[in-house]
Parts: sequence; structure tokens; C-alpha cells
Amino acid sequence: MGGLGGVCSADMATSLIPDETLARVGELLAEPVTVTIDRRESQRYALAVGDENPVYFDEEAARAARHRTIIAPPTFVTHAIVPPRSNDQLRTDGLWRDGSGVRLAVARMMFGGEEWDFLEPVCVGDRITAETRLAGVDQKDGSKGPFVRVVRETTFTNQDGTVVARSRQIGIAR
Amino acid sequence: MSGQGGAGGQGGTGGTGPRLADLSVGDELPVMTKNASRAQLFLYSAASFNPHRIHYDREYAAVEGHPDILVHGPLQGSWLTQYLTDWIGPRARLRAVTWQNRASAFPEQDLEFHGRVTAVHLERNEVEVEVWEQTADGAVLMPGTATVFLPE
Repeated sequence: MGGLGGVCSADMATSLIPDETLARVGELLAEPVTVTIDRRESQRYALAVGDENPVYFDEEAARAARHRTIIAPPTFVTHAIVPPRSNDQLRTDGLWRDGSGVRLAVARMMFGGEEWDFLEPVCVGDRITAETRLAGVDQKDGSKGPFVRVVRETTFTNQDGTVVARSRQIGIAR
Repeated sequence: MSGQGGAGGQGGTGGTGPRLADLSVGDELPVMTKNASRAQLFLYSAASFNPHRIHYDREYAAVEGHPDILVHGPLQGSWLTQYLTDWIGPRARLRAVTWQNRASAFPEQDLEFHGRVTAVHLERNEVEVEVWEQTADGAVLMPGTATVFLPE
């Protein structure tokens, strides 16, 4: 069976997904991370994007938009939780060793896309806790050969216990 | 009415954004164009603590088979959320967004963001749109969808 939609069957000799990785589907990929949303980091991010929306910079504009205070750009939370790491953990391609938390038989990682639900705005000063699970991993056949699709799902919860956002990040490894 | 197929003006810098009652399925959003310099891509790498060399090291990008350094997938995602929040204005809310990075985007390249209304839910003040990033000659790099909440 299988083969539909390019999903490889289990007997494929060249599986790029170790059994130990398949066994982790549904598991947390790391301990939950808690960070405070920093105004300067958020504003540096917005400026690097080229998004100078006043609600990210100006208290009055944020209040006029019915926010408690200045907010962060919608997807900034996913960058805010990136852990500080030392240079000796850099691979030659510039990625972090074990940065994905998912072992695969292929190393080149590309960004495949994201799906976000924004439930509440994230304000500067909020304490956000992120929990990331391995939501799925499967191997497919593309025009440039086989690749692995890794889906990581992160839930972001604020200091009041309110879930403020959920993201599903799709990584493509080949 | 949105007559010419336009779906309201830019709201992000203090305007009011589109009115729910004025929107219809098929209305097109105003186009936003981005064109990132190499320095901006470097700054984005720094601001997102992303050391991946394909975004600033052209020689290394070639090793991975790319003709030039690449625009970060999450940067294009943030351009997409900017496109939507600029359109809806400060009182509205971006509820959900999805995107797929299908093809590479490069620096010093005009990247256009387009959108079209696909559903209007008057009963819950929500509008669904399809959105996409394309090159100037129409090649779609990043298709996506979004749901926005528009207050009265």
C-alpha cells in the first residue's frame, strides 16, 4: 500500500527517517521555554522586516488600537524563544548542531511554511511560555529527489495562562 | 461599494482600514511591493539570531545549489503579516495566517504581495482572504490564506 501523494511506503529501503524519530511524533521536543518579550528585540525585529506599524513603537498608538501597551509583530514570539547558544555549537552551514531536535538521515534544512492562529496580541513585557511538539514527520518524493517534511507545533501561553498563539512550522530536509 | 475591485486602503499607519459591509468575495487587496537589500537580509539574520549561511554567504549558498543568497522564509512570512495588518488597520485583528514557501526569493528582486477576498462572514465579523507573494512577472513564490476580524 501507500505511494499515494508521494508518501513512501514503510518497506522503502532508503528511509531518511530513523525509527527513533518516528517514535517521537507527538512528544515535546524540548523543555518548555519561558521568555519575557523585550521591547528592543521586538522593535529590532520589526525594523529588520521593514514593518514600522506604530503599534509596535508608540504607546499611544497601541492604546488607540485597544492594546494594553506596545505589541510585538505577530510572529515575533517564535524568534523571541530562540535560545542563546555559543559559537562552538555552529555547524559549517551556519545552523546549530541538533537545532531541530529531530534526528534525520539528511542535513540540509529548508523552510517550508507556517500556519498560525493568533488568539491574543502579545504585548511587550509579557512572559510567554512556549511548548514545541513534533507534530509529524514523513518522507515524500519530490522532483529533486526524496525529502522529509517535519512539522513542529508550538503553543505560546502568557503569564495569565492564556494561550496567545499556536504555530505549525513545516521544515523540509533533504 | 468597492467598485473597482479594490478592498479598502492602507490602514496600518492610522487609517481605518476596510469596512466589513463594503467587502465582497473577489475583491482584491491593494498590492504591496518589497525589495530587500543584502544589508536588510543580514539585519534580519541578526534580529532573528539565525546564523544559516545561505542568507548572507553567496559562495556557501552556491554549495547548496542556490544561484544567490536567499530571502528567509520567516521574513517573507512577516512581510505577509505586515501586508495583512497594513490592510486591515489598527482596530482590526489578524486571526490566522498560513503560507507555503514554494520557491526561492532573492535580494534586490521586486516581490509583490497580492490578496483576494474569498469569504465574508458578517455574523462573526470575519473575512477570509487568499494571499500570495509573486515576482514581477507573476511567478508565485509563496501562496497563503488568512482570516481577519473587522470590528464595526
